[in-house]
Amino acid sequence: MPLWLREHRWHQTRTAVFLSLPLRGARAAPANIFCTERYLKVSVPPFLFEAILYADIDDKSSTAKIGNGNIFFTLYKKEPAMWDSLTLENADKEKLQYIRENAVLKAQERAKEETEAKKVTKQEHKKYALEATMKVEEAERKRIEDLKEKERQRITEELELWKKQQKEAAKYKSIQKEGELHQEIQQLEERKDEKMNKTRVPNEVTSKTRLKPTKGHGSCSIFSQNLKEEQLPAPRSAATIKVNFTPRVFPTALRESRVAEEEEWLHKQAEARRTITADLSELEDLKEEEKNPDWLKDKGNKMFAMGNYLAAVNAYNLAVRLNNKLPLLYLNRAACHLKLRNLHKAIEDSSKALELLTPPVPDNESARVKGFVRRGTAFCQLELYTEGLQDYEAALKIDPKNKNIEKDAEKIRYLIQGTMQGS
Amino acid sequence: SAPSLERPQVVSHVQQSLSYTVFDCKWVPRSARLLCLGSAARGTGVVQLYELRGARLELLREIEKPKPIKCGTFGATSLQQRYLATGDFDGNLNIWNLEAPEIPVYSVKGHKEIINSIDGVGGLGIGEGAPEIVTGSRDGTVKVWDPRQKDTPVANMEPVQGESKRDCWTVAFGNAYNQEERVVCAGYDNGDIKLFDLKTMSLRWENNIKNGVCSVEFDRKDINMNKLVATSLEGKFHVFDMRTQHPTKGFASVSEKAQKSTIWQVRHLPQNRDIFMTSGGSGSLHLWKYEYPAQRSKKDSEGAEMGVAGSVTLLQNVTLSTQPISSLDWSPDKKGLCVCGAFDQTVRVLIVTKLNKI
Repeated sequence: MPLWLREHRWHQTRTAVFLSLPLRGARAAPANIFCTERYLKVSVPPFLFEAILYADIDDKSSTAKIGNGNIFFTLYKKEPAMWDSLTLENADKEKLQYIRENAVLKAQERAKEETEAKKVTKQEHKKYALEATMKVEEAERKRIEDLKEKERQRITEELELWKKQQKEAAKYKSIQKEGELHQEIQQLEERKDEKMNKTRVPNEVTSKTRLKPTKGHGSCSIFSQNLKEEQLPAPRSAATIKVNFTPRVFPTALRESRVAEEEEWLHKQAEARRTITADLSELEDLKEEEKNPDWLKDKGNKMFAMGNYLAAVNAYNLAVRLNNKLPLLYLNRAACHLKLRNLHKAIEDSSKALELLTPPVPDNESARVKGFVRRGTAFCQLELYTEGLQDYEAALKIDPKNKNIEKDAEKIRYLIQGTMQGS
Repeated sequence: SAPSLERPQVVSHVQQSLSYTVFDCKWVPRSARLLCLGSAARGTGVVQLYELRGARLELLREIEKPKPIKCGTFGATSLQQRYLATGDFDGNLNIWNLEAPEIPVYSVKGHKEIINSIDGVGGLGIGEGAPEIVTGSRDGTVKVWDPRQKDTPVANMEPVQGESKRDCWTVAFGNAYNQEERVVCAGYDNGDIKLFDLKTMSLRWENNIKNGVCSVEFDRKDINMNKLVATSLEGKFHVFDMRTQHPTKGFASVSEKAQKSTIWQVRHLPQNRDIFMTSGGSGSLHLWKYEYPAQRSKKDSEGAEMGVAGSVTLLQNVTLSTQPISSLDWSPDKKGLCVCGAFDQTVRVLIVTKLNKI
């Protein structure tokens, strides 16, 4: 329960009321004072002072001075009149309450208005600042443009001046030349024929075009040219220098290179060598060398050369079990199957080989040609001539210079035409 | 680095739209005139002569030739004559007198395929020695011609019999500091750079920079060879220090990757041999400065002299077009004035400012 402060003293003039409020030791701050037009409250815990004023005051200009344990109010009256008392004496409780509430509401409204006003001013300030910066930047830009423009004009003027100078120099020179010519023409008359004969051979082409322009200029320039001729060395004796161009693993310029593909192919080859796909437990009873796919491939090749195709196939089979990524194994096995007339198997193997021979690079050209040719042969022997022809044409595309492939392709085409006509 | 307004600026002075594809553009020496060489849509060659007047290019003359023209040079002609040497799509080398262009002053079917690049030395009052023209062609050969000798080249650099040929994309003369010395540098599409010595008629040095070489140029043709810049595909260029040749390692170099696209051309500023401009496939131009190292050569572990390459700094870069800028030429008379031709069928005259302050 706050303590009411009642020991206030006041006096007034026509326009102002002076109120003095002792604080009895408590400290006050501006926040503790609440004042509206009709209502004044000071709340410094535990003390409370409240006054419902006799008449309205102008609370905007009124002041409060805190100090010395006192608050000294200077309240300016709205209407200059003498008040009977500071507060409204005989007001009933309801009126008092109403006035209190009104005061609070009014204070709130005023606070709102103030914030609004502040917002608006802030906006305006921002806008102003923005415009100011824009102006400054614009000025800067203009300055730079002006500088550039000035440079440009200056240079144009310089150019014109220089051109004029050139023209004048040229005129001067030509006038000089004319003067000299008139002096020398007499001297030259006899000597000119002699000189012309001597120099006619090398100057053949040039003198033809030179004699056409005016006589003065013509003789002058021929004369000067003669002098120069004597000072210049003779044309160089002809020679040839042979050049070699930088070799590369893949002989193409960087822009033409298919480095990516070639790298891929090399990588694949390296990988293939390394993979061992077999299940070693089965093959434990094999000798060491029999586990090496290359050795097996060589064995197979030897068998093929001897005509023992079944043995060759066996060797290749084992090699494939050990390492199924070597295209050459499939190629060679396809050749064996061809000889054994296992045509479907031959087709299968050549297809597998061709699959492994991607990406297509110059390195694996010969292998691919073999693959296509073997598959083509198998197709033809199965009488699937169109497929066979396709493969032969693919082989021909890789190696256009191979006469055998061309001959065979021709034969197949002929066969196809024959069957078509027949049916 | 200097604040941006104090660096050299590349200012576009005049822009001219053309009705044909321009492959090469060159200033006519001692004048404010420039030449554009190219190929018209109907498959004929076009030579146009423009004069720079104020803020415009005025067309003075247009010449049409039966075959499209790829490249041209004034390098081998005297200042009075100013004959233009051109290489065309058919492998013909022609030298024209622009006053009377109907019949060429010199003509030879030098190559079996398009002449990609041409250079001349010994003319324009620069250097000494016989005037010579070198052409590099798609048929893999590089030939040196003397305008006084008809039909046969005075030097021929061709692949060994049976060897597969590589296109020669660019050629340049260098080291022509007296009457006998001369070298030709050629760049090929597989990244080979070969240096031929014409005095001893031999291959002096070769190197491979992995990517096709689009353009080579010595910083000066008429001095003891000092620096060589070679540009290539994929945005790289190499600067070789040509003063010291090591017996096995060749010439020292520094390389820089400028932009993601091909660098089509490099041209040194005639008034300052350490500044050069590269033009790129993305339509951009980069201006570079080379700085020499503290010591240009040092001894290696066996005591042989080895060159030391310096460093390259970018002074300015600007994007002018969306199409590659395929040709570039500095004016020998006015410092900072240059012309460039791009595949968007425009030729632009540019001014590079503040080059005095470098």
